[in-house]
Amino acid sequence: MSRKRHRLVPDSFGLKRRREQGQAEADPLRGESGSARAAVAELVQLFPRGLFEDALPPIALRSQVYSLVPDRTAADRQLKELQEQGEIRIIQLGFDLDAHGIIFTEDYRTRVCVCVLKACDGRPYAGAVQKFLASVLPACGDLSFQQDQMTQTFGFRDPEITQLVNAGVLTVRDAGSWWLAVPGAGRFIKYFVKGRQAVLGMVRKAKYRELLLSELLGRRAPAAVRLGLTYHVHDLIGAQLVDCVSTTSGTLLRLPET
Amino acid sequence: MLGFLSARQTGLEDPLRLRRAESTRRVLGLELNKDRDIERIHGSGVNTLDIEPVEARYMLSGGSDGVIVLYDLENSSRQPYYTCKAVCSVGRNHPDVHKYSVETVQWYPHDTGMFTSSSFDKTLKVWDTNTLQTADIFNFEETVYSHHMSPVATKHCLVAVGTRGPKVQLCDLKSGSCSHILQGHRQEILAVSWSPRCEYILATASADSRVKLWDVRRASGCLFTLDQHNGKKSQAVESANTAHNGKVNGLCFTSDGLHLLTVGTDNRMRLWNSSNGENTLVNYGKVCNDSRKALKFTVSDGCSSEFVFVPYGSTIAVYTIYSGEQITMLKGHYKSVDCCVFQSHFQRETEHERGRGRERRRHRIGNRLQAPSHQPRARRGARTPGPRDRDL
Repeated sequence: MSRKRHRLVPDSFGLKRRREQGQAEADPLRGESGSARAAVAELVQLFPRGLFEDALPPIALRSQVYSLVPDRTAADRQLKELQEQGEIRIIQLGFDLDAHGIIFTEDYRTRVCVCVLKACDGRPYAGAVQKFLASVLPACGDLSFQQDQMTQTFGFRDPEITQLVNAGVLTVRDAGSWWLAVPGAGRFIKYFVKGRQAVLGMVRKAKYRELLLSELLGRRAPAAVRLGLTYHVHDLIGAQLVDCVSTTSGTLLRLPET
Repeated sequence: MLGFLSARQTGLEDPLRLRRAESTRRVLGLELNKDRDIERIHGSGVNTLDIEPVEARYMLSGGSDGVIVLYDLENSSRQPYYTCKAVCSVGRNHPDVHKYSVETVQWYPHDTGMFTSSSFDKTLKVWDTNTLQTADIFNFEETVYSHHMSPVATKHCLVAVGTRGPKVQLCDLKSGSCSHILQGHRQEILAVSWSPRCEYILATASADSRVKLWDVRRASGCLFTLDQHNGKKSQAVESANTAHNGKVNGLCFTSDGLHLLTVGTDNRMRLWNSSNGENTLVNYGKVCNDSRKALKFTVSDGCSSEFVFVPYGSTIAVYTIYSGEQITMLKGHYKSVDCCVFQSHFQRETEHERGRGRERRRHRIGNRLQAPSHQPRARRGARTPGPRDRDL
């Protein structure tokens, strides 16, 4: 009998018994409640490859993973594990220091190989990029690289590093450190930022600044939204730019008070 | 709960279990207290609070007008409705009052005979409580944002001071002068905190997004800089490590000193392992933070799963530290909340808010249990259980 009391979980001590949330709603967005890897795989399906003519690998965002995996700490830890195992790469997207893009390593390698080498055939930096993809990528799974790491551990010289930056594989972070980047991601970031503002604007213009999710997904996407409404909605929910309220008619997206 | 009590009574379970269970239950049931209030002395916003660690009876508060007030939190009247009275205050007509806003006050960690206060008028003053005179004044070149004295120090009397300059100053109370300077940050130091575990470990947070841990005995610089991405550790890397993507506003060690919580203007709160500086990746979601000075938040002490109380706009957000889950938002203030303190004996949470002119204090007490008189409570010094114990 006393064994029951040994688990000091807040539920036993909650002074009000909270009613269990109804899980039975067939929510188009909450279909995946499993692991981060399954969430990333699902999100990668949403990415519109045709828009970039296959030049970019499919990019998912960390905030989208949060909307599919409700426990953020677990999602972060699983993503960190996947990053350490080398299955995914995390990229710093330039517009917001907090927004990280997630790409499967295989996709990254194939796309970058194909597109960079196609663009720089005969140019001097083809060799540096090849060397980078072959030696640095498998060895170091971090988001950023430091000067001494590149010169001493991997044997790059300064002109070679400049060539990598010109090719778009590295972005400058600070004096002597660089972020990993995807060449040609500028267009994606532009569409993403515009699309995010457009979807937020749709919620803002609604009466009482709230919109049912099903209604939002059913509306016609404005011209600024090139990546798809579902893609943006996942990101908005995960980044807590809209509050998700569950109602009897489904999920409601409401702009936060402040 | 009755099961816990009877097990404690018969000796089947450790006394600590009952204490922790009841503390947790009270923290989960925290709400605005309708019966208790604190006398209103400050005319403008209250920036800082501190409850003395010895008996948890006296509380200091420092306001934006430079006034420091000392309150007695104990209810010695028999009435349930009670206003905590101010015992004394350093008002505007005191000769040694601070000229500008008081940013941090702290009791001397070992007794209530002394307290320290630091203010935007570039001074740190050491006060004698009984006579309310300044025992010592330390002058600096820049405005002082925050100071802290180690709660566990026995071998040194250093006060760490964070100013608008990039150097952390350590002032020695015994000799009356600044004994050390710690260099390494590039912008103003917004928060400093000593570790409750080791008396020589100091954490400092700065507007340049970096949090550094120092061992003050070491001459050659900081131990490490916290890195939010948990990248590879190497000497030259240190310069690029950032703990947050904006200014780091607040620092708080957990009560056992093993973890460190930091809050930044990128609206994030992070939990770090204080022995190796690793980001534990616990995600608390968006913790709104638009304070341009230090944000004073606090952790609970003595509950089964520790909680952190963070001022979030005009409410206080309560999270479980190690899992990142948001438990509740405590509402009750009309303007933005500046600081909060937690009293571990009675699980009381006091927070003060900043307002334009008018300010409110809310003194929150968790639902109290009709406790039997043998409930264990850690107390220093003998105290006879007076009639006060009955009106719990």
